[in-house]
Amino acid sequence: MFSGQSIVTTSEDKDQFHFKADETLKVIGLLQVFLQYCVQAGTKSRMMVKVDRLSYNFGAYWALKDISFTLGKGEFLFLTGHSGAGKTTLLRMLYGALPVNRGRASVAGFQLNNLRKRQIPQLRRKVGVVFQDFKILPKRTVFDNVAMALEVRGMPRMNLERRVRAIVRAMGLETKSYSTCERLSGGEQQRVAIARSMVANPELILADEPTGNLDFDLTMHLMDIFKQFHTYGTSVIMATHSREVLDCVPEARILHLQDGCIVTDGESSINEENEEDD
Amino acid sequence: MIGQLFRLTLRGIADFGLHPVAQLLTLVAVGMVTLLTGLIIIGLHNINVELLKSRGEVEFQVYWKADTKTEDVLKDWAVVRKLDYLKDFKTFTPENALTELATTLGETGDFSWLADNNPLPYSGLASFAVPPEAQDEGWAARLLTELKSLPGVDKVHYTPFQADLAQGWMTITRVIVWPIIGFLALIVSLVVYNTIKLSLLTRLDEVEILSLVGASPAYVRWPLLTGGFIQGVFGSALGIGLLALVHSVTAQTLNFPPFFIEIQFLPYDQLGIIAGAVTLVSMASSWVAVK
Ligand SMILES: Nc1ncnc2c1ncn2[C@@H]1O[C@H](COP(=O)(O)OP(=O)(O)OP(=O)(O)O)[C@@H](O)[C@H]1O
Ligand SMILES: [Mg+2]
Repeated sequence: MFSGQSIVTTSEDKDQFHFKADETLKVIGLLQVFLQYCVQAGTKSRMMVKVDRLSYNFGAYWALKDISFTLGKGEFLFLTGHSGAGKTTLLRMLYGALPVNRGRASVAGFQLNNLRKRQIPQLRRKVGVVFQDFKILPKRTVFDNVAMALEVRGMPRMNLERRVRAIVRAMGLETKSYSTCERLSGGEQQRVAIARSMVANPELILADEPTGNLDFDLTMHLMDIFKQFHTYGTSVIMATHSREVLDCVPEARILHLQDGCIVTDGESSINEENEEDD
Repeated sequence: MIGQLFRLTLRGIADFGLHPVAQLLTLVAVGMVTLLTGLIIIGLHNINVELLKSRGEVEFQVYWKADTKTEDVLKDWAVVRKLDYLKDFKTFTPENALTELATTLGETGDFSWLADNNPLPYSGLASFAVPPEAQDEGWAARLLTELKSLPGVDKVHYTPFQADLAQGWMTITRVIVWPIIGFLALIVSLVVYNTIKLSLLTRLDEVEILSLVGASPAYVRWPLLTGGFIQGVFGSALGIGLLALVHSVTAQTLNFPPFFIEIQFLPYDQLGIIAGAVTLVSMASSWVAVK
């Protein structure tokens, strides 16, 4: 996946050192190993999410069993699976709402296993979350709900207003900016939730069925926005049931969960998915 | 940082508009608890004042040595007249005393034959009314020593009953008042805590959501703390206002014979302590109420 080796062994390099003694070649060999090491180290820090043999139980019920996967920076990952498969549970663990006791997990450089209490806000400021049940404040306006994500990060008012207005416009909610959220339709509320997850430009977006309440056109429009963030290097994990949504991001990986276990993990090869579903 | 704090404080104030009814009910509840506490403390305070009043009155019978010269006795009297809290000082020369004795005994007592060789010494009856605030421990004993130490004084009699009663009350207050105050504090804390906690139930969603989008605990709590502060200040003000009203209506109800008790309002420092404690408790409650 990473082109570490090719960086060193270009033919040009070889030509330059061709006539030199064996020692030179040895040095190049060492250099090669060193560079490879660097690339590996780079990959490590380029890891956004790393989950290793993660399990979670609600009492006697195991909602996640022995899950392992990694997500590189800038990668797009779909979580699919039937209702109750454990998608939300997995996402909740990733933003520190459920403790990691069995297995290991790290997100955006935070080890979730021994996460200190005061680290939780820091983790959550690196991650934008679209909750399945939105979790917006009904008594506050669209603007306030979206601005909340920036306020908790201590952003100055001027910057904040500009950003909030931009994302609210992108969500097609500019006419509702100052309505309280209790007066919005389900789809509008969902867009507020999405806007809030994106407004702070997080390194990682965790979206739990972000298009569940939207019609086809709006879904496509919002997926474009998600893809835009993805293009600029944001990592995304999106739980979804929708085939349309999966088709929007052909290069994405798909993690298919079933009863808390991963049954497929691979590039979004739509055919393969189709076969499985059929 | 300061700007942030200021904005959060403003938000805490603005948040009163979000659930006005719940907030108002909380305020009334805090006010009522303050009122009840105030009533109990007014009761205690007035009992204390009444007891202190009577216990502050003490009489000393002072006798001078028979051989003291008149001018020395007069000097001593002048000293006594300058003592603090002296209410009355009746003095008797031997001649006065004799006449007084004679009138007291009526016709049977004719002591005119004693006039030339009067055995009675100079004497005086000093009554003091020591106000409650000056009644520190051992005040009566100190007055006694003071009188005894006058150069010409032979002996001092006084009725120990009042002073003992005083000492007794002092002990009782020390033993009883603090448990009562502690009990009151406990009740106020429990009631205010539960009230504030209930009123915050309407806002637990908000607390949860703020923390989910990455707010630090301080960020979440500052507006709540502001709210608790406002509840405390306005609630206790309401309570004290009602207390003043109740007091003004009932102040004279015991002011008839044989009681003659005019119910007194609490002094400012005690009102301040009540208001401060209630405010502190409501702030602490809004801090503790959200995990
Ligand atoms: N708080 C909880 N207590 C007990 N069981 C829970 C709890 N939360 C989730 N579960 C169980 O864990 C399992 C996984 O739930 P989860 O919400 O992760 O499913 P999901 O894949 O997100 O489903 P959906 O597609 O319907 O959102 C379900 O069987 C659910 O009943
Ligand atoms: Mg779910």
